[in-house]
Amino acid sequence: MALIDTRDLYKIYTLGDVEVKALNGVSVSIEKGEFVAVMGPSGSGKSTFMNILGCLDKPTHGKYILDGIDVTATDLSQLAGVRNRKIGFVFQGFNLIKRTTAIENVELPMIYNHTPAHLRHEKAMEALKAVGLESRAQHLPNQLSGGQQQRVAIARSLVCDAPIIFADEPTGNLDTKMSIEVMELFTRLNKEMGKTIILITHEPDIAEYASRLIKFKDGEKISDEVK
Amino acid sequence: MWDSFYAIFKISLKAIFANKMRAALTSLGIVIGVSAVITMLAVGSGAQKSVTDSVARFGTNILFLRQPWDLDESISSPKDVTMDDVYAIRQVDGVAAAAPYITTSFDVKYSNTSVALSVLATDPDIFLTYDWPIESGREFTQREVDDYAQVIVLGASAAQTIFSDVDPLNKTVVLDNIPFKVVGVVKKTGQSGMGFDMDEGALIPYTTGKVKMNAGWNSSDRRALDRVVIKVADFNTIENTKVDIQNTVRNTHRIHPLGKDDFQLDDFASFIEQAKTMGKTMSLLLGAIGAVSLIVGGIGVMNIMLVSVTERTREIGIRMAIGATSWDIRMQFLVESVTLSCIGGLIGIVLGVIITMVVAANSSIPAELSISAVLLSVGFSAATGIFFGFYPAYKASKLTPIDALRYE
Ligand SMILES: Nc1ncnc2c1ncn2[C@@H]1O[C@H](COP(=O)(O)OP(=O)(O)OP(=O)(O)O)[C@@H](O)[C@H]1O
Ligand SMILES: [Mg+2]
Repeated sequence: MALIDTRDLYKIYTLGDVEVKALNGVSVSIEKGEFVAVMGPSGSGKSTFMNILGCLDKPTHGKYILDGIDVTATDLSQLAGVRNRKIGFVFQGFNLIKRTTAIENVELPMIYNHTPAHLRHEKAMEALKAVGLESRAQHLPNQLSGGQQQRVAIARSLVCDAPIIFADEPTGNLDTKMSIEVMELFTRLNKEMGKTIILITHEPDIAEYASRLIKFKDGEKISDEVK
Repeated sequence: MWDSFYAIFKISLKAIFANKMRAALTSLGIVIGVSAVITMLAVGSGAQKSVTDSVARFGTNILFLRQPWDLDESISSPKDVTMDDVYAIRQVDGVAAAAPYITTSFDVKYSNTSVALSVLATDPDIFLTYDWPIESGREFTQREVDDYAQVIVLGASAAQTIFSDVDPLNKTVVLDNIPFKVVGVVKKTGQSGMGFDMDEGALIPYTTGKVKMNAGWNSSDRRALDRVVIKVADFNTIENTKVDIQNTVRNTHRIHPLGKDDFQLDDFASFIEQAKTMGKTMSLLLGAIGAVSLIVGGIGVMNIMLVSVTERTREIGIRMAIGATSWDIRMQFLVESVTLSCIGGLIGIVLGVIITMVVAANSSIPAELSISAVLLSVGFSAATGIFFGFYPAYKASKLTPIDALRYE
């Protein structure tokens, strides 16, 4: 059975009397260990799709089964545990918490699953090592470069051993060199740790790193090819 | 579990310290509220205690006879309370002493000083009713009363104010152009606020006062007294003695058996009750003033917490995305508001205790700190934090992750 399985997902926003179909019947199935790139024009519904996959948002209709759990039948507030254990997020804007050191940011998901303090520290350090930032553990986000911040965010997404990583334009705010660093990191996570990675991007170069490419247009999936 | 709670606590502390000035100003509201509650309650219970104390020192076996202030209109020719009543009452079984009582305020002059004192015109029986022991000199005598003697007994503070270092005995002071010889000084009683304040007053023979000085003349009868102070020998039979006194006075006033009393006999039981209810009302009122400022402080906390939630909406979204439950978010903000309130509360307690001690030491306002008032304000400030923090925390926890993350 697929790790991620969506059937006819719709997301409809009503603004006054205008209906926006951000998602218009999307069915996708993703197996464990896949590295998927999602592309499409701006406003085509990529982020909307990923936010639903990441249990941050609910579809208007349709069904979504995540690792055997019917997520659409569950209240979002009940899904905190699922987000914590099964999903790691990497955002375009990094989304680290301000005035909080790199290591504390990485420890955060473990606070919410009640990992004992000493273990928390150990695992956070390990994750920072995995992204090559152990020397920056005590730095605050505003003392790190964009690429470093994004790597801290990746460390945070790894630290609870979540099998899936969602990344919404993770290189959108990075220059080419940093983008390559980050993409190589993702590739390693996919190859060596077997993480399932779903990544949104506008750049074909970035999409090259993935093994499968899904294209969106106007809220619909228009192509889906495995390389 | 504890580790995580501690971690959330640290997060909250960090948020507080990130905005030190704001936290300080917010706590200030609670500081003021809590110190107001403590001080007000202390002043309230101190006042209550001093009232009951002074009543107790008076003795509960004191009765006052006087004409009622709101005389029944059906009484056609009410009689004043006079020495005739005093003499008659002294004969009643169970009465230990009865003294006339007329108070007037006079300027008392000695060399260059002039002090306004309240002067009680009375007779030696007054020393048998009130506990006013002589410090130096002597009481004035019945003989002096009979002779309209110009003698005066001063209260301790009054003597101090007029004479400072000079020995007052046998000196002459002038009241209303009449010279009086100081024959005695009463020991400091430390009693104030209720009845006659002996420390700040003086005693003269009622005869001298009435005849030579028109003391207390508001009645057509030159013989009228303000009241008669009666001391009952045994408190346990005070009710019987009261009835006997009542009958005696009815007799001297020649009241028809079916007529109404034209006088009133007060005992201190009712005074104590009155004083107690007054004290309680006062405590309540003062407490309410304190409570209002605490509520205002609490609203300040709520306001800042709402701002804090709005400011940190994105942060809330991030926390939710990485697995914080609604409960975690709610706890974070509740701990923050409770911490703010409790810091304010602790400072408020210290400040309140200091203010209370300063007030008690430097003014005549009695103030009595009570553990219960302190505990009450601790509980109150924690409750303020929970109560006023709850809505902002709840609001934060109800956000959906995507709305929080998208918040600009
Ligand atoms: N909260 C919202 N309310 C109303 N409409 C929304 C909301 N969120 C998204 N939309 C609409 O849904 C559509 C899809 O948005 P989405 O963010 O998924 O696009 P995207 O493919 O991620 O675009 P981009 O590449 O620019 O990030 C857009 O037309 C957008 O206007
Ligand atoms: Mg997008």
